[in-house]
Amino acid sequence: MNRCTVTTGFFVLGRCGRSAVAACPQCGRPVCGAHAGPNALCPECAAAQGYRTQDPHHPGWTRGYRREYYRGSSQSYNDGYWYSSFDEYDRGAFNPGDDYSYGGDWGPDDDTGFVDS
Amino acid sequence: MRHQGPLRHRAAYVAFDRFPSSKGSAVHIAQMADELFTRFEGGLLAAIGGGDLPRYQREGTREVARFDAAIPNLIDRAEAFSGWVAAHLRPHWETLEVCHVRDPWSALPAVADGRRHTVVYEVNGLPSIEMSHTWPWAAPATLGKIRELERFCLERSDAVVVPSRVIGDAVRGLGVPEGRIHLVPNGADVRDRPERPAGAPERYLVYVGALQPWQGLDVLMRAFARLADLPGLRLVVCASVPERRAKPVRRLAERLGVAERVDWRFALPHHEVAAWLAHAEVSVAPLTGCARNLDQGCAPLKVIESMAAGVPVVASDLPAVRELMADGRHGRLVPADRPAELARAVRILLEYPEEAAAMGRRGRAHIEESLTWARSRARLTEVYRTLTRGR
Repeated sequence: MNRCTVTTGFFVLGRCGRSAVAACPQCGRPVCGAHAGPNALCPECAAAQGYRTQDPHHPGWTRGYRREYYRGSSQSYNDGYWYSSFDEYDRGAFNPGDDYSYGGDWGPDDDTGFVDS
Repeated sequence: MRHQGPLRHRAAYVAFDRFPSSKGSAVHIAQMADELFTRFEGGLLAAIGGGDLPRYQREGTREVARFDAAIPNLIDRAEAFSGWVAAHLRPHWETLEVCHVRDPWSALPAVADGRRHTVVYEVNGLPSIEMSHTWPWAAPATLGKIRELERFCLERSDAVVVPSRVIGDAVRGLGVPEGRIHLVPNGADVRDRPERPAGAPERYLVYVGALQPWQGLDVLMRAFARLADLPGLRLVVCASVPERRAKPVRRLAERLGVAERVDWRFALPHHEVAAWLAHAEVSVAPLTGCARNLDQGCAPLKVIESMAAGVPVVASDLPAVRELMADGRHGRLVPADRPAELARAVRILLEYPEEAAAMGRRGRAHIEESLTWARSRARLTEVYRTLTRGR
Protein backbone atom coordinates (compact mmCIF):
# COMPACT_ATOMS: atom_id res chain seq x y z
CA MET A 1 0.00 0.00 0.00
CA ASN A 2 1.25 3.46 -0.84
CA ARG A 3 1.83 5.80 2.07
CA CYS A 4 1.44 9.58 2.06
CA THR A 5 4.96 11.07 1.99
CA VAL A 6 4.05 14.66 2.84
CA THR A 7 6.46 16.24 5.34
CA THR A 8 4.71 17.22 8.56
CA GLY A 9 5.72 19.12 11.68
CA PHE A 10 7.30 22.47 12.40
CA PHE A 11 10.48 22.04 14.41
CA VAL A 12 10.52 18.25 14.47
CA LEU A 13 9.72 17.01 11.00
CA GLY A 14 8.17 13.70 10.07
CA ARG A 15 6.30 11.95 7.28
CA CYS A 16 2.51 11.73 7.28
CA GLY A 17 2.42 7.96 6.63
CA ARG A 18 -1.35 7.57 6.20
CA SER A 19 -2.65 5.53 3.27
CA ALA A 20 -2.44 7.47 0.04
CA VAL A 21 -5.59 8.10 -1.98
CA ALA A 22 -4.06 9.94 -4.92
CA ALA A 23 -0.83 10.99 -6.55
CA CYS A 24 -0.02 14.69 -6.83
CA PRO A 25 -0.45 15.53 -10.52
CA GLN A 26 2.55 17.85 -10.40
CA CYS A 27 5.27 15.94 -8.54
CA GLY A 28 3.73 12.48 -8.49
CA ARG A 29 4.12 11.84 -4.77
CA PRO A 30 1.41 9.81 -3.05
CA VAL A 31 -0.91 11.90 -0.85
CA CYS A 32 -3.58 10.92 1.67
CA GLY A 33 -7.11 12.32 1.81
CA ALA A 34 -6.19 14.90 4.43
CA HIS A 35 -3.23 16.25 2.47
CA ALA A 36 -4.69 16.17 -1.04
CA GLY A 37 -5.65 19.70 -2.03
CA PRO A 38 -7.60 20.99 -5.03
CA ASN A 39 -6.94 18.71 -8.04
CA ALA A 40 -5.15 16.35 -5.61
CA LEU A 41 -2.13 18.68 -5.40
CA CYS A 42 0.19 17.94 -2.49
CA PRO A 43 0.62 20.81 0.05
CA GLU A 44 4.12 21.58 -1.25
CA CYS A 45 2.95 22.06 -4.83
CA ALA A 46 -0.20 23.87 -3.68
CA ALA A 47 1.87 26.34 -1.63
CA ALA A 48 4.33 26.81 -4.49
CA GLN A 49 1.44 27.86 -6.73
CA GLY A 50 0.86 30.86 -4.49
CA TYR A 51 4.33 32.22 -5.25
CA ARG A 52 6.07 33.03 -8.45
CA THR A 53 8.78 30.46 -8.24
CA GLN A 54 11.47 29.86 -10.76
CA ASP A 55 13.85 27.03 -11.20
CA PRO A 56 16.90 27.89 -9.08
CA HIS A 57 18.93 25.21 -10.80
CA HIS A 58 18.89 27.10 -14.05
CA PRO A 59 22.30 28.78 -14.43
CA GLY A 60 20.81 32.12 -15.37
CA TRP A 61 18.56 32.22 -12.35
CA THR A 62 20.73 33.92 -9.75
CA ARG A 63 22.02 36.65 -11.94
CA GLY A 64 18.74 37.28 -13.68
CA TYR A 65 16.83 37.28 -10.44
CA ARG A 66 19.28 39.62 -8.79
CA ARG A 67 19.26 42.06 -11.66
CA GLU A 68 15.51 42.04 -11.82
CA TYR A 69 15.34 42.59 -8.08
CA TYR A 70 17.76 45.51 -8.21
CA ARG A 71 15.62 47.14 -10.84
CA GLY A 72 12.33 46.48 -9.07
CA SER A 73 13.50 47.30 -5.60
CA SER A 74 15.40 50.44 -6.48
CA GLN A 75 12.11 51.72 -7.86
CA SER A 76 10.00 50.66 -4.94
CA TYR A 77 12.46 51.88 -2.30
CA ASN A 78 13.34 54.87 -4.43
CA ASP A 79 16.95 54.16 -3.64
CA GLY A 80 19.20 52.26 -5.99
CA TYR A 81 22.26 52.59 -3.79
CA TRP A 82 21.81 49.55 -1.58
CA TYR A 83 21.49 47.21 -4.46
CA SER A 84 24.58 48.23 -6.28
CA SER A 85 26.80 48.93 -3.31
CA PHE A 86 28.69 45.63 -3.19
CA ASP A 87 31.20 45.54 -6.02
CA GLU A 88 33.23 42.59 -7.26
CA TYR A 89 35.99 43.35 -4.78
CA ASP A 90 33.55 43.24 -1.87
CA ARG A 91 32.02 40.03 -3.10
CA GLY A 92 35.40 38.39 -3.63
CA ALA A 93 36.02 38.15 0.11
CA PHE A 94 32.95 35.97 0.47
CA ASN A 95 33.85 33.32 -2.06
CA PRO A 96 34.06 29.92 -0.47
CA GLY A 97 36.80 27.48 -1.30
CA ASP A 98 39.78 28.80 0.60
CA ASP A 99 40.80 27.33 3.92
CA TYR A 100 41.76 30.66 5.39
CA SER A 101 38.35 31.88 6.39
CA TYR A 102 36.11 29.95 8.71
CA GLY A 103 33.44 30.28 6.05
CA GLY A 104 35.84 28.28 3.90
CA ASP A 105 34.24 25.70 1.74
CA TRP A 106 30.50 25.67 1.56
CA GLY A 107 28.36 22.62 1.07
CA PRO A 108 24.72 21.71 1.03
CA ASP A 109 24.93 20.46 4.62
CA ASP A 110 26.02 23.85 5.91
CA ASP A 111 23.77 26.28 7.62
CA THR A 112 23.98 29.71 6.20
CA GLY A 113 23.08 32.13 8.97
CA PHE A 114 25.18 35.24 9.47
CA VAL A 115 25.28 35.04 13.22
CA ASP A 116 25.35 31.88 15.26
CA SER A 117 25.40 31.24 18.93
CA MET B 1 -8.50 19.57 6.34
CA ARG B 2 -8.69 20.16 2.59
CA HIS B 3 -6.21 22.68 1.32
CA GLN B 4 -7.74 25.64 -0.33
CA GLY B 5 -6.01 27.99 -2.73
CA PRO B 6 -3.17 30.33 -1.81
CA LEU B 7 -3.14 31.47 1.83
CA ARG B 8 -3.04 35.15 2.69
CA HIS B 9 -1.08 35.72 5.87
CA ARG B 10 -1.16 38.45 8.51
CA ALA B 11 2.29 37.57 9.84
CA ALA B 12 5.63 36.56 8.38
CA TYR B 13 8.90 35.49 9.99
CA VAL B 14 11.99 35.69 7.80
CA ALA B 15 15.35 34.13 8.66
CA PHE B 16 18.51 33.59 6.64
CA ASP B 17 19.03 30.34 8.56
CA ARG B 18 18.32 26.75 7.77
CA PHE B 19 15.13 25.65 9.49
CA PRO B 20 14.84 23.28 11.20
CA SER B 21 18.43 22.42 12.08
CA SER B 22 20.47 21.32 15.09
CA LYS B 23 21.72 24.83 15.82
CA GLY B 24 20.67 27.08 18.66
CA SER B 25 19.31 29.58 16.16
CA ALA B 26 16.72 27.02 15.00
CA VAL B 27 15.44 26.55 18.56
CA HIS B 28 15.12 30.31 18.84
CA ILE B 29 13.34 30.60 15.49
CA ALA B 30 10.93 27.79 16.43
CA GLN B 31 9.95 29.57 19.64
CA MET B 32 9.65 33.08 18.23
CA ALA B 33 7.88 32.08 15.00
CA ASP B 34 5.49 29.82 16.91
CA GLU B 35 4.56 32.73 19.18
CA LEU B 36 4.04 35.04 16.20
CA PHE B 37 1.91 32.50 14.33
CA THR B 38 -0.14 31.70 17.43
CA ARG B 39 -0.95 35.35 17.88
CA PHE B 40 -1.81 35.96 14.22
CA GLU B 41 -3.58 32.65 13.54
CA GLY B 42 -0.98 31.37 11.12
CA GLY B 43 1.74 32.91 9.02
CA LEU B 44 4.57 32.44 6.60
CA LEU B 45 8.02 31.30 7.73
CA ALA B 46 10.59 32.08 5.04
CA ALA B 47 13.92 30.40 5.79
CA ILE B 48 16.82 28.54 4.21
CA GLY B 49 16.29 24.98 3.04
CA GLY B 50 18.43 22.52 1.17
CA GLY B 51 19.27 18.93 1.96
CA ASP B 52 16.05 16.94 1.99
CA LEU B 53 13.90 19.74 3.40
CA PRO B 54 10.84 20.38 1.23
CA ARG B 55 10.73 23.70 -0.59
CA TYR B 56 7.22 24.37 0.68
CA GLN B 57 5.31 23.01 3.61
CA ARG B 58 1.81 23.66 4.86
CA GLU B 59 0.56 22.93 8.34
CA GLY B 60 -2.98 24.23 8.67
CA THR B 61 -2.71 28.01 8.44
CA ARG B 62 1.07 27.96 8.67
CA GLU B 63 3.31 27.89 5.65
CA VAL B 64 7.04 27.28 5.47
CA ALA B 65 8.88 28.40 2.33
CA ARG B 66 12.54 27.46 1.98
CA PHE B 67 15.17 29.11 -0.19
CA ASP B 68 17.38 26.38 -1.56
CA ALA B 69 19.35 27.93 -4.41
CA ALA B 70 22.96 26.69 -4.19
CA ILE B 71 24.83 29.99 -4.59
CA PRO B 72 28.35 29.70 -3.13
CA ASN B 73 29.24 33.40 -2.74
CA LEU B 74 27.67 34.63 0.48
CA ILE B 75 26.80 38.14 -0.72
CA ASP B 76 25.33 36.78 -3.95
CA ARG B 77 23.36 34.27 -1.92
CA ALA B 78 22.17 36.89 0.56
CA GLU B 79 21.00 39.20 -2.22
CA ALA B 80 19.27 36.39 -4.07
CA PHE B 81 17.59 35.53 -0.76
CA SER B 82 16.46 39.15 -0.43
CA GLY B 83 14.87 38.94 -3.86
CA TRP B 84 13.25 35.65 -3.04
CA VAL B 85 11.85 37.09 0.20
CA ALA B 86 10.44 40.08 -1.67
CA ALA B 87 8.67 37.71 -4.06
CA HIS B 88 7.28 35.73 -1.13
CA LEU B 89 6.05 38.76 0.79
CA ARG B 90 4.38 40.26 -2.28
CA PRO B 91 1.27 38.02 -2.26
CA HIS B 92 0.67 38.98 1.39
CA TRP B 93 1.43 42.70 1.07
CA GLU B 94 -2.21 43.72 1.58
CA THR B 95 -2.90 41.43 4.54
CA LEU B 96 0.44 41.49 6.36
CA GLU B 97 0.35 43.11 9.81
CA VAL B 98 3.71 42.08 11.26
CA CYS B 99 6.90 41.01 9.56
CA HIS B 100 9.57 39.69 11.91
CA VAL B 101 13.10 39.55 10.50
CA ARG B 102 16.52 38.47 11.80
CA ASP B 103 19.14 40.04 9.54
CA PRO B 104 19.59 42.92 7.11
CA TRP B 105 19.02 40.90 3.94
CA SER B 106 15.74 39.58 5.30
CA ALA B 107 14.84 43.05 6.54
CA LEU B 108 15.42 44.92 3.26
CA PRO B 109 12.34 43.68 1.42
CA ALA B 110 10.27 44.00 4.62
CA VAL B 111 11.08 47.67 5.30
CA ALA B 112 10.17 48.78 1.77
CA ASP B 113 8.17 51.95 1.17
CA GLY B 114 4.42 51.64 0.89
CA ARG B 115 4.11 48.94 3.49
CA ARG B 116 1.23 48.82 5.94
CA HIS B 117 2.77 46.21 8.22
CA THR B 118 5.08 46.81 11.14
CA VAL B 119 8.59 45.40 11.07
CA VAL B 120 10.14 43.74 14.11
CA TYR B 121 13.89 43.36 13.62
CA GLU B 122 15.34 40.74 15.93
CA VAL B 123 19.07 41.40 16.35
CA ASN B 124 20.96 38.36 17.60
CA GLY B 125 24.17 39.74 16.23
CA LEU B 126 25.45 42.28 13.78
CA PRO B 127 26.88 40.85 10.55
CA SER B 128 29.11 43.92 10.21
CA ILE B 129 30.97 42.74 13.35
CA GLU B 130 30.49 39.01 13.16
CA MET B 131 31.46 38.66 9.50
CA SER B 132 34.87 40.15 10.18
CA HIS B 133 35.48 36.99 12.22
CA THR B 134 33.98 34.49 9.83
CA TRP B 135 35.38 36.11 6.69
CA PRO B 136 38.74 37.63 7.61
CA TRP B 137 39.38 38.63 4.00
CA ALA B 138 36.47 41.04 4.00
CA ALA B 139 37.88 44.57 3.76
CA PRO B 140 36.94 47.17 6.38
CA ALA B 141 35.25 49.15 3.61
CA THR B 142 33.08 46.14 2.77
CA LEU B 143 32.11 45.69 6.40
CA GLY B 144 31.35 49.42 6.46
CA LYS B 145 28.85 48.90 3.66
CA ILE B 146 27.25 46.07 5.61
CA ARG B 147 27.05 48.38 8.63
CA GLU B 148 25.27 50.99 6.52
CA LEU B 149 22.85 48.34 5.37
CA GLU B 150 22.18 47.40 9.01
CA ARG B 151 21.68 51.02 9.95
CA PHE B 152 19.28 51.53 7.07
CA CYS B 153 17.14 48.54 8.04
CA LEU B 154 17.25 49.25 11.78
CA GLU B 155 16.24 52.85 11.20
CA ARG B 156 13.20 51.78 9.23
CA SER B 157 12.11 49.03 11.62
CA ASP B 158 9.30 49.71 14.09
CA ALA B 159 10.81 47.67 16.91
CA VAL B 160 14.17 46.07 17.56
CA VAL B 161 14.22 42.94 19.69
CA VAL B 162 17.50 41.95 21.36
CA PRO B 163 18.28 38.87 23.47
CA SER B 164 20.84 40.61 25.72
CA ARG B 165 21.58 44.06 27.10
CA VAL B 166 25.02 44.05 25.46
CA ILE B 167 23.45 43.64 22.03
CA GLY B 168 20.94 46.33 23.02
CA ASP B 169 23.87 48.69 23.67
CA ALA B 170 25.41 47.82 20.31
CA VAL B 171 22.12 48.57 18.56
CA ARG B 172 21.79 51.83 20.47
CA GLY B 173 25.28 52.66 19.27
CA LEU B 174 24.00 52.36 15.71
CA GLY B 175 21.50 55.12 16.42
CA VAL B 176 18.33 53.20 17.29
CA PRO B 177 16.36 55.17 19.90
CA GLU B 178 16.01 53.59 23.32
CA GLY B 179 12.23 53.37 23.15
CA ARG B 180 12.34 51.12 20.12
CA ILE B 181 14.65 48.51 21.67
CA HIS B 182 13.02 45.61 23.51
CA LEU B 183 14.84 42.99 25.54
CA VAL B 184 13.48 39.50 24.92
CA PRO B 185 15.96 37.09 26.50
CA ASN B 186 16.55 33.59 25.25
CA GLY B 187 15.00 30.82 27.27
CA ALA B 188 14.97 27.10 27.86
CA ASP B 189 12.41 24.54 28.89
CA VAL B 190 13.00 22.74 32.16
CA ARG B 191 12.12 19.09 31.64
CA ASP B 192 12.44 15.82 33.52
CA ARG B 193 15.93 14.41 33.57
CA PRO B 194 16.39 12.45 30.33
CA GLU B 195 17.98 9.00 30.23
CA ARG B 196 21.72 8.69 30.05
CA PRO B 197 22.79 8.68 26.37
CA ALA B 198 23.95 5.32 25.06
CA GLY B 199 27.73 5.14 25.05
CA ALA B 200 28.16 8.05 27.46
CA PRO B 201 31.44 7.86 29.40
CA GLU B 202 31.35 7.50 33.19
CA ARG B 203 32.58 11.05 33.82
CA TYR B 204 32.66 13.75 31.20
CA LEU B 205 32.72 17.47 30.58
CA VAL B 206 30.44 18.67 27.80
CA TYR B 207 30.69 21.39 25.19
CA VAL B 208 27.60 22.17 23.12
CA GLY B 209 27.48 24.42 20.08
CA ALA B 210 29.12 25.47 16.87
CA LEU B 211 32.89 25.51 16.32
CA GLN B 212 33.74 29.01 15.12
CA PRO B 213 36.96 30.54 16.49
CA TRP B 214 35.09 32.84 18.90
CA GLN B 215 33.56 29.85 20.70
CA GLY B 216 36.94 29.25 22.35
CA LEU B 217 37.28 25.53 21.60
CA ASP B 218 41.04 26.07 21.48
CA VAL B 219 40.97 27.43 25.02
CA LEU B 220 38.89 24.46 26.10
CA MET B 221 41.31 21.95 24.51
CA ARG B 222 44.27 23.61 26.22
CA ALA B 223 42.41 23.58 29.54
CA PHE B 224 41.51 19.94 29.04
CA ALA B 225 45.17 19.11 28.44
CA ARG B 226 45.80 20.38 31.97
CA LEU B 227 43.29 17.90 33.37
CA ALA B 228 45.12 14.86 32.00
CA ASP B 229 45.82 13.60 35.53
CA LEU B 230 42.12 13.01 36.26
CA PRO B 231 41.50 9.33 35.50
CA GLY B 232 38.65 8.50 33.18
CA LEU B 233 37.60 12.11 32.60
CA ARG B 234 36.51 12.68 29.02
CA LEU B 235 35.34 15.66 27.01
CA VAL B 236 32.22 15.28 24.87
CA VAL B 237 31.81 17.87 22.12
CA CYS B 238 28.24 18.01 20.79
CA ALA B 239 28.91 20.06 17.67
CA SER B 240 25.92 21.60 15.94
CA VAL B 241 27.78 21.71 12.61
CA PRO B 242 28.88 19.05 10.10
CA GLU B 243 31.91 16.91 10.91
CA ARG B 244 34.25 18.49 8.37
CA ARG B 245 33.99 21.79 10.29
CA ALA B 246 35.80 20.12 13.20
CA LYS B 247 39.08 19.64 11.33
CA PRO B 248 41.03 22.57 12.86
CA VAL B 249 39.92 21.77 16.43
CA ARG B 250 40.69 18.09 15.97
CA ARG B 251 44.17 18.92 14.70
CA LEU B 252 44.76 21.08 17.75
CA ALA B 253 43.50 18.32 20.07
CA GLU B 254 45.97 15.91 18.47
CA ARG B 255 48.82 18.33 18.86
CA LEU B 256 47.95 18.85 22.53
CA GLY B 257 47.73 15.09 23.06
CA VAL B 258 44.10 15.13 24.20
CA ALA B 259 42.45 13.74 21.06
CA GLU B 260 42.16 10.26 22.58
CA ARG B 261 40.08 11.61 25.47
CA VAL B 262 37.65 13.64 23.34
CA ASP B 263 34.35 12.19 22.05
CA TRP B 264 32.69 13.92 19.12
CA ARG B 265 29.00 14.03 18.29
CA PHE B 266 27.75 15.97 15.29
CA ALA B 267 24.46 17.69 14.51
CA LEU B 268 22.47 15.79 17.13
CA PRO B 269 18.77 16.54 17.45
CA HIS B 270 17.93 18.95 20.26
CA HIS B 271 16.53 16.32 22.69
CA GLU B 272 19.68 14.20 22.43
CA VAL B 273 21.84 17.21 23.25
CA ALA B 274 19.67 17.77 26.33
CA ALA B 275 20.48 14.22 27.48
CA TRP B 276 24.24 14.76 27.01
CA LEU B 277 23.98 17.97 29.01
CA ALA B 278 21.98 16.43 31.84
CA HIS B 279 24.54 13.70 32.59
CA ALA B 280 27.70 15.77 32.33
CA GLU B 281 29.80 16.76 35.35
CA VAL B 282 30.26 20.28 34.05
CA SER B 283 29.16 22.17 30.94
CA VAL B 284 31.77 24.52 29.51
CA ALA B 285 31.17 27.73 27.52
CA PRO B 286 34.70 29.06 26.86
CA LEU B 287 33.67 32.06 24.69
CA THR B 288 36.66 34.21 23.75
CA GLY B 289 36.97 37.88 24.66
CA CYS B 290 36.77 39.09 21.04
CA ALA B 291 34.79 41.96 19.54
CA ARG B 292 32.12 39.53 18.43
CA ASN B 293 31.38 38.52 22.02
CA LEU B 294 32.23 41.80 23.76
CA ASP B 295 31.14 44.68 21.48
CA GLN B 296 28.38 43.01 19.54
CA GLY B 297 27.40 40.78 22.42
CA CYS B 298 25.86 37.35 22.32
CA ALA B 299 23.22 35.39 24.20
CA PRO B 300 24.65 31.90 24.44
CA LEU B 301 21.78 29.44 24.51
CA LYS B 302 24.21 26.74 25.68
CA VAL B 303 24.55 28.49 29.05
CA ILE B 304 20.78 28.67 29.53
CA GLU B 305 20.18 25.11 28.34
CA SER B 306 22.96 23.78 30.58
CA MET B 307 21.38 25.42 33.60
CA ALA B 308 17.96 24.08 32.58
CA ALA B 309 19.51 20.61 32.49
CA GLY B 310 20.75 21.10 36.07
CA VAL B 311 24.46 21.07 35.18
CA PRO B 312 26.95 23.51 36.72
CA VAL B 313 28.42 25.80 34.07
CA VAL B 314 31.97 27.06 33.72
CA ALA B 315 31.85 30.00 31.32
CA SER B 316 33.92 32.99 30.29
CA ASP B 317 33.30 36.06 32.40
CA LEU B 318 31.77 38.28 29.70
CA PRO B 319 29.01 40.86 30.24
CA ALA B 320 26.60 38.88 28.04
CA VAL B 321 27.19 35.73 30.12
CA ARG B 322 26.90 37.62 33.42
CA GLU B 323 23.37 38.59 32.37
CA LEU B 324 22.45 34.90 32.44
CA MET B 325 24.30 33.35 35.38
CA ALA B 326 26.05 34.32 38.59
CA ASP B 327 29.58 33.31 39.56
CA GLY B 328 29.66 30.89 42.47
CA ARG B 329 25.91 30.42 42.36
CA HIS B 330 25.14 28.65 39.07
CA GLY B 331 28.70 27.68 38.22
CA ARG B 332 31.94 29.56 37.77
CA LEU B 333 32.82 32.55 35.60
CA VAL B 334 36.46 32.61 34.58
CA PRO B 335 38.52 35.15 32.63
CA ALA B 336 38.15 34.56 28.87
CA ASP B 337 41.07 33.06 26.93
CA ARG B 338 42.82 31.68 30.03
CA PRO B 339 43.10 27.89 29.75
CA ALA B 340 44.74 27.57 33.19
CA GLU B 341 41.90 29.43 34.92
CA LEU B 342 39.33 27.41 33.05
CA ALA B 343 41.02 24.14 34.01
CA ARG B 344 41.25 25.19 37.65
CA ALA B 345 37.57 26.09 37.87
CA VAL B 346 36.60 22.75 36.35
CA ARG B 347 38.96 20.87 38.68
CA ILE B 348 37.49 22.53 41.75
CA LEU B 349 33.93 21.65 40.71
CA LEU B 350 35.00 18.04 40.13
CA GLU B 351 36.59 17.92 43.56
CA TYR B 352 33.53 19.29 45.33
CA PRO B 353 30.70 17.31 43.72
CA GLU B 354 28.15 18.29 46.34
CA GLU B 355 28.71 21.99 45.82
CA ALA B 356 28.71 21.40 42.05
CA ALA B 357 25.37 19.59 42.28
CA ALA B 358 23.94 22.43 44.36
CA MET B 359 25.04 24.90 41.68
CA GLY B 360 23.30 22.74 39.08
CA ARG B 361 20.09 22.75 41.13
CA ARG B 362 20.24 26.52 41.65
CA GLY B 363 20.83 27.01 37.92
CA ARG B 364 17.76 24.95 37.12
CA ALA B 365 15.67 26.90 39.61
CA HIS B 366 16.98 30.16 38.15
CA ILE B 367 15.80 29.14 34.67
CA GLU B 368 12.41 28.04 36.00
CA GLU B 369 11.98 31.36 37.76
CA SER B 370 13.19 33.77 35.14
CA LEU B 371 14.39 32.35 31.83
CA THR B 372 11.77 30.01 30.41
CA TRP B 373 10.68 30.19 26.79
CA ALA B 374 7.16 30.89 28.04
CA ARG B 375 8.45 34.09 29.63
CA SER B 376 10.37 35.12 26.50
CA ARG B 377 7.33 34.46 24.37
CA ALA B 378 5.11 36.51 26.66
CA ARG B 379 7.54 39.41 26.29
CA LEU B 380 7.53 39.06 22.53
CA THR B 381 3.76 39.07 22.46
CA GLU B 382 3.83 42.25 24.52
CA VAL B 383 6.03 43.83 21.82
CA TYR B 384 3.57 42.78 19.10
CA ARG B 385 0.66 44.06 21.17
CA THR B 386 2.26 47.46 21.70
CA LEU B 387 3.04 47.77 18.01
CA THR B 388 -0.29 46.73 16.60
CA ARG B 389 -2.35 48.62 19.15
CA GLY B 390 -4.56 51.20 17.48
CA ARG B 391 -3.95 49.82 14.01
